[in-house]
Amino acid sequence: MSENEATPVGKVAPEDRRIGVYICHCGGNISDYVDVEAVREALADEPGVVVSTTELFACSDGTQHDMIDAIKEKQLDGLVVASCSPKLHQVTFRNVAARAGMNPYTYSQVNVREQGSWAHQHDKAGATEKVIGLVRSSVAKTRLSDALEPLRFDTVPRALVVGAGIAGLRAAIGLAEIGLEAVVVEKAPEVGGWVGRHGETFPSNAAGRDQIASLNEQIKQRRDITVYTNAELTGKSGTFGNYSAEITLHRDGGDKTLTVDVGSIIVATGFDSYAPDDGEFGYGIEGVVTLPQFKELVDASEAGKLIYNGRPVRSVGYVYCVGSRQEAGGNEYCSKFCCTAAIHASVLVNKLDPSVRQFHLYRDVRAYGRNELLYNETRDAGSVFLKFADDAPPTVAKLPSGGLGLTITDLLTDSREVTIPVDLVVLVTGMVPRQNKSLVDLLKLPLGTDGFFNEIHPKLRPVETVVDGVMIAGCCQSPRTAGESVAAGLAAVAQSAALLKKGYAELEPLVARIDPEKCTGSGDCLTACPYDSITSIEWDGRQIASVDPATCKGCGGCIPVCGADAIDLLGYTDAQMRAAIEEMFEASVPVKEPVA
Amino acid sequence: MATLVNPNLITDLQKFGAADVNACFSCGNCTAICPLADNDATFPRRFIRLAQVGLTDDLVTSKELWTCYQCGMCTSRCPQEADPAEFMATARRYAIAKLDRTGIARAMYTSPVAAAVISLVGLVIFGGFFASVKATAEERLVFGVPYEWIHLVGLVVMILVVLIAVFNLAMMARATAKRDEVSAKSLFGSRKAWGNTLRAVWYSVGVESLGQKRYREDCEDDDPKEPLYRRRWLIHFLTVWGFLALFAATLIHYGSDIIGLQGAAVGVVALVARVVGTIGGIAMMYGVTWFMINRKQKVSAAAQHSAPSDWLFLWMLWITGLTGFIIEVSLYLPQDHPQPWAYVLFLVHVAIAMELVLFLPFTKFAHVMYRPVALFFYALAKQRSAELQSV
Ligand code: SF4
Ligand code: SF4
Repeated sequence: MSENEATPVGKVAPEDRRIGVYICHCGGNISDYVDVEAVREALADEPGVVVSTTELFACSDGTQHDMIDAIKEKQLDGLVVASCSPKLHQVTFRNVAARAGMNPYTYSQVNVREQGSWAHQHDKAGATEKVIGLVRSSVAKTRLSDALEPLRFDTVPRALVVGAGIAGLRAAIGLAEIGLEAVVVEKAPEVGGWVGRHGETFPSNAAGRDQIASLNEQIKQRRDITVYTNAELTGKSGTFGNYSAEITLHRDGGDKTLTVDVGSIIVATGFDSYAPDDGEFGYGIEGVVTLPQFKELVDASEAGKLIYNGRPVRSVGYVYCVGSRQEAGGNEYCSKFCCTAAIHASVLVNKLDPSVRQFHLYRDVRAYGRNELLYNETRDAGSVFLKFADDAPPTVAKLPSGGLGLTITDLLTDSREVTIPVDLVVLVTGMVPRQNKSLVDLLKLPLGTDGFFNEIHPKLRPVETVVDGVMIAGCCQSPRTAGESVAAGLAAVAQSAALLKKGYAELEPLVARIDPEKCTGSGDCLTACPYDSITSIEWDGRQIASVDPATCKGCGGCIPVCGADAIDLLGYTDAQMRAAIEEMFEASVPVKEPVA
Repeated sequence: MATLVNPNLITDLQKFGAADVNACFSCGNCTAICPLADNDATFPRRFIRLAQVGLTDDLVTSKELWTCYQCGMCTSRCPQEADPAEFMATARRYAIAKLDRTGIARAMYTSPVAAAVISLVGLVIFGGFFASVKATAEERLVFGVPYEWIHLVGLVVMILVVLIAVFNLAMMARATAKRDEVSAKSLFGSRKAWGNTLRAVWYSVGVESLGQKRYREDCEDDDPKEPLYRRRWLIHFLTVWGFLALFAATLIHYGSDIIGLQGAAVGVVALVARVVGTIGGIAMMYGVTWFMINRKQKVSAAAQHSAPSDWLFLWMLWITGLTGFIIEVSLYLPQDHPQPWAYVLFLVHVAIAMELVLFLPFTKFAHVMYRPVALFFYALAKQRSAELQSV
C-alpha cells in the first residue's frame, strides 16, 4: 500500500548540501527587535548554505517567485525560512519548494517571530543571538533531511450513514448521486426520524411525512443505497478510506451481524426533545403539553376542531425557551428552531380555527431570516406576544374556575401582572443531545460541553470531526432546522466525495518507521502507541514490530520506549534532532551592533 | 395581585372596527408622535396593548380614550399600518357599548338592523308620547292604544334612560377615580383641593367642552389640512354651539310656558327664543352637513371609517335641524293654524330630538357625557404631576 521509502537526497554529504536560508523582516515585526542582517551574515558561511538573504515579507507573492527562481537557478536541495509560526506558513513554503521542483519535506520553518522578536523586545542583542542559534540549528537539521513522498493508499467508494432522519436519508441520496454507494443504518424500525412524524412543517408547508416518503421512494429506486432499519453500528476498525464497519441487525430470530467496508462515516443521529421536569411550568397538570405533543395534536385535527381530551380548545398559551437558554450548568444554548416551530404551529391553529385565541410568552423571538414572515403572519392573525424577563418567568397553574392560568408580568402594559386563562399550555421545548454512549465510544466522537458532537471548525470545517473520515451532520451536532440539517448532510456528502472520489488518499509521510534489522521484537512499542498502529509481524524468520503508516499520526510516542533505538520518525529522525540540538549548544555568536 | 384578563377582548372589540390593529407590535411610534399624549396620558400604544392583553376595565373606563381627537398622526406614522387612530375611535365605541349594561348600545353599534329597529321603536314611542300630550279627547287613541298608556310608557322610558345614563357615567367616573387615586377627600378635603377641583371643572367644561381649545390646536396637525370653512374643529364647534342654542331656545320656550308668562313678555321671550334657535339651527346644520360631506369624501383620518352609528347620529341631527326649519317657516305661511302636515312634521321633529337626547348613552352622542368627565380627571392628573415636579 505504500511507496513511502525515504530516499536520502542523492546521498550527498551533509556539508555539500545546497541550502537556501531566508530571514524575514515580517515588515518590522522581526527586524525591529532582531538584527536580521547579523543573522544573515552569521548563516552565510555555514557549511551547506548556498543562499543567505533577508526579505521584507517572505510570504509575499514576489518573494515566493524569487525563491522559486533561486531554488531552480542555484539547484538548492534544502530550504529554511526564518519567519513566523509554521502554523501560518509551513504549507506556503512547502508549496514554494514543490513548485520549484524541490522535495517539500526538505523545507524547515523557524519561528523567529513568536520565539525571537516578540519574546525579547527589550533585548535586541539577546534576541539576535537566540535567532542565530535557532536558524543554525534548523540548518543542521536540514542538512540531514531526506526527500519524502506522501503516503498513498486506495479508498473504498462507499459511505456509511448512521441515522435515517431527513439529514441521513438526503445524504444517502446525495452520496449515490455523486457516485458513492451508501449504506444507511437506522436504530428505529422506521426511517424518517422526527420529521417523518410531522404534518405540515415550515417553511414550505409540505408535510414532514410526505417529504420523508418522497426521499424513501427515491431510495427504493436506487440499487446503490442500502437501508438497514432496526440496526446499529456496533464495531469499527481500519482507517479513513478503508473502514470496516460491523452492523448488528436486531431481527425477530435474534441479532445478526454483517460487515461492510466503507470509506467514510456520516453520523446523523439527530436529537432528543427536551423532557420538562415534573412541575416545570406546570408540566404534569392536565392541559400542559410539550411542543411535539402539541404538533401531533394539531396535525391530527380537522378543520374547525382543535380538540384536546374531548374538549374544544378555545385558547392556547405558549411558553417559549423551555429547556433552552437555561442558567449555567443547564442547557445554555438556544435551540434555534423552536421559536419558529411554535409560531408555525400557531399559524396552523389559526387556519384550523381562526377564533382560537393564542398568547405567546417569550424571552426573545428568534424567528430569523424568512421565518420573520411567519411571525408577522401569526401576529396579524391575532396572536399576542408577551415578553418575560429572564429572571421573571411566567407561572402555570390551574384556575379555581377550571382551565389553566398563565401568569406573567407584561412589560408593555406598565408591567402589569396578568393571568391569562387558557385551555391549553404549550411548553415550547428545545432540543437536547441524544444519549448515544456506545456510538460515541466506538467512533471516538468528540463531545462539546453541551453534549452535542463537535466539528473541527465551526466555519471552515463544519462537518468534519477530528477523527479522519468521520463526519457529523444535523441535530446531533447542534440544534437547527430540518433545512439546515439537510444542508449539513450534503456538506458531509461533499467531504466524503473529496476523500473518496479520487480512489486513493494521500497522507503526510511524517510517520514512524522501524528498522527491521535493529528491532529485537520486544514488543514494548506496541502498547505505547495511542492509535494502535503498531503490530507484530514475522520478518526474516523472527517477530518484529511494524507500523501501519496509514494510521500512524507521527506523534513519536513509540520512539523513546524502544530499547534498541530501532524506531525513527521520518522528517524528524534521531540524527536530525541530535544535530539540531548540538548546533544550539555551539559557542555563542558575536553580535556586531549591540543596541542599548 | 395578578389580574385575570379576558382573552377574547380584542376579538370582541374588533366587532366595532379597528380591523388592522393586530399588526401593532408596540413600538410606540404612535405615542411619540401623538400631540396629546404626555406623561399623564400615554396613548394610543398602551391602550392597544390593553386590548391585546385583555384588560377590559382598564381600557373602557380610561380617561385617555376621550382625550384623543383623532387627528390621525399616529396612523400616518405607524410602521405596521395598524391604524391606531381608528383603534382609538373603535375603543371609544367599545367603551360606550361596554359601559352600557343594557346591551342597547352594543346592539346599535354592531348590527345596523338592530340600530334601525331600535331607533324606529324609539321614534314611535316618543312620537306617540308627544302626540298623546297634545291629543284632544277624540284623538285619544293612537293606533288603537289609549293615550294614557302611551304617555306612561313614554315617561317610564325617559326616566329609565336618564337613570341608565347617570349610572353608566358614575361607573366610568368611579373606575377612573379609583385608578387615579382621586377621592372625595382629595377633591374637597381642603380649600386648595376645592380650588383644584374647580379649576379642573373649568378646564374640562369651559376650556375644552365649550371652548374646544385642544381640538382646535390638534387640528393644526391635520394632514391634509382642510380649508377653515370645513375644518373639523370649526364644524364641530358650530355643531356643539348650534345644538346648545337650539336646546336653550327650546328651554326658553317651554320655560315661559311652564311659568305661565303673560302679556307683552310672551312676545319678547318668543322672539328671543326664535332668534337664538334660528342662529343655532343654522350653525348646527352647517356643521352637520359638512361632517357628512367630509365623511362621504373621507377627507381626513377621522373620516376614514364610518360606522352605521356615526351616520345614524349625523342623520338624526340633520333631520332634527331640517324639520325644525320647515316648521319655523310653516309658522309664517299665510294660515292661521298650522297645517296637518306641519303637525306631523312637528311630531317627527320632537320625536327625533327627544330620541337624540335620550339615546345619548347608547350612541356616539355619549361622548358628550364621557368626555368632560375624562377631561376632568385628566386635568386633575396634570395638576398633580405639576405639583410633584415643583416640589
Ligand atoms: S400602533 Fe403602530 S406605531 Fe403604535 S405601537 Fe402599534 S405598531 Fe407602533
Ligand atoms: S388620533 Fe391623534 S390624538 Fe388620537 S391617539 Fe392618534 S395621534 Fe393621538
